[in-house]
Parts: sequence; structure tokens; C-alpha cells
Amino acid sequence: MIENQLVYLYCVTNEEPTLKKAEDLADDLYFVHHRGLCAVVRSVKENEFGEEDLKKNMADLEWVKTNATLHERIIEQVMRNMCVIPFKFGTLFNTDDSLKAMLEEYGDEFKAILGRLENKEERGVKIYCDVEKLKAFSINDESEILEIENEINGSSPGKAFFLEKKKAELLAQVTNRKINEYSQETFELLKELSFEARINRLLPKEVTEREDDMILNSAFLVGKDEVGDFINMVDTLKMHYENKGFFVDCTGPWPPYNFCGLSKQKVPNA
Amino acid sequence: MHNVAIKSKEVTLLEILDRVLNKGVVISGDVVISVADVDLIYLGLKVLLSSVETMEQLRGAPITGPMQEAR
Repeated sequence: MIENQLVYLYCVTNEEPTLKKAEDLADDLYFVHHRGLCAVVRSVKENEFGEEDLKKNMADLEWVKTNATLHERIIEQVMRNMCVIPFKFGTLFNTDDSLKAMLEEYGDEFKAILGRLENKEERGVKIYCDVEKLKAFSINDESEILEIENEINGSSPGKAFFLEKKKAELLAQVTNRKINEYSQETFELLKELSFEARINRLLPKEVTEREDDMILNSAFLVGKDEVGDFINMVDTLKMHYENKGFFVDCTGPWPPYNFCGLSKQKVPNA
Repeated sequence: MHNVAIKSKEVTLLEILDRVLNKGVVISGDVVISVADVDLIYLGLKVLLSSVETMEQLRGAPITGPMQEAR
């Protein structure tokens, strides 16, 4: 029985990349050229990546880990030397010809996107907040809360009870306000230093496996010449926020996953 | 200036999954897959990574800012 193969698309570039032969991952990669574009692909087994099998494999965490990491590593290899359009995990074609048909349809748009991405890179910025630490900071930072505290000290137990409740409410309001202010301030300041910026869905604690809450999940398209300024700004914000319970996490350069939107997005299964 | 081109630190699997599974160009290839259950994969990962460790109870609702997801 002959095993059927599928074509797994990683990214599209303007020209064929030179990949280091020493890298184990580059072994079975190949390139499909069409309309002046180069698609970086790999031949994969249909009984692993076919529709039904893929669904099954997506439930296998080891498999997802291995293949998602490979997906990322391959694109990172390519983007060392050139601009890339990264595709979503699991973009598969039956044959090179059907991939070429896709390049035919979207070729002009891909070229426009690649032109727009030239000399730019994606950076990720996530902010986390230790709410208890922020509350502790806010108690001493807000005069209104300090006043209630003083009032509590000189009150009867009955009155103190209600004042405590009022204080807790006020504190919750203040911390929420500060969280919004800090995340917005960070986003706006970094946006100023970027060509484009995106805000993504916040990830819950079960996902981040952190004790503190994610309060900003953002991505920035930064000019390569501006990266130094961008990182300096991140470092400044980090120092400014640290003692207030905020943690700023900056990663990258990433393939521009967040900045390759097609104008006529075709959504599968829609 | 050269070191700015290097990843700031060891990137977590979460960072990779957050991008690779959720972002990137979506094209209707010949074989259509749905990675809609990404959250479930994350949760599964949590279980995988923390092995037998007891799952922490969810504490309160997550704090959300006024900003919405871009897309």
C-alpha cells in the first residue's frame, strides 16, 4: 500500500531561503515556487495529517507540542534571512499544484504583505498583575483609602465594620482602575514606537500557570531600527511597575503572526 | 545593539502555542482542520505539565480591562 502524502505549508517568502544543512529540521523541507513567491513546505503523511487523523492527534498533547514547536522553529529558521508570512498550524494541501493554485489566488496580496513587513519584526508584550501586591501598594498611594483607615482606627466596632467594607470596595475600584490605566498606558506608549499593534485575548491562569493575572496580551510590529528604543521603553516600564505588583514580559522577535491578515479572509468551516 | 535580535529569554511553550495555533494566515487549504478547541489543549497541557499536582481552585473571576481582542 502506498502511503499518501500531503503538503504542509509553513510560510511564504519572496525568495528561496538558505537553511543551514546542519539543522535536523530542514531535512525534509522543500520549496514550491510560483509567481515570484516561495512557499516553504514539508511532505507529511496523510495518515498523520489527514482531516480525521489530525483531529485525533490534536488531542495528543505530546504530538501537539512536538509539531507546534517544529512549526515555529522552521519559520524562525527562514526568517533569519528574510521576511516571512507565517501560516497557521495545520495549513495543508493535497498536492503542490493545489498549493500553487492558492498562491495564484493570493499572490498579489502576499507580495503586498511582504512589502509591508520588510525590515520589521514582531514583539510580544504581556503584563501580569499580582493583585494583592497592587492592593498593598494602593493603600498607601491613595489618600481616600488612607483617610478611611484613620477613621476606622477611631471608630466603634460597629462603625468600623461598615468602614472596612467601604474600604474594601474602594480598594477594588482603585486596583481595577490602576490595572486599566497601566495596561493602556503601556500599550499606547509601545504603540507609539511601532508600525502596528494588536491586543489579543487574555489567557487564564490555568493556561499561563502563573500566580498572577494576565492583564495585557499584546503584539507589536516594530521597525528593525526602532527595536532598541522599543526595548528601552519596555525596560523603563518594567522598572516603573515592578514595585506596584506588575510584571512586564517581552518576547521576540517572532514571525509576524499577528500582522499578516488577509483582506478577504477565508475562514474554514465558516 | 546585536543582542536585541536574540530572543529575550527561553520562550515558553505557551508563547509558541498562543501564536502558532491562534494566529498566522488562515487559508482554506485542501484539508481543513479546526483548532477551535485550543483552550482544551491548554488545559490538557496544564494537566500534563503539572502531572499529579493538585489543581488549584479557580479564585474569583479574571480581571478584564476595557480593551477588546483585536481579531
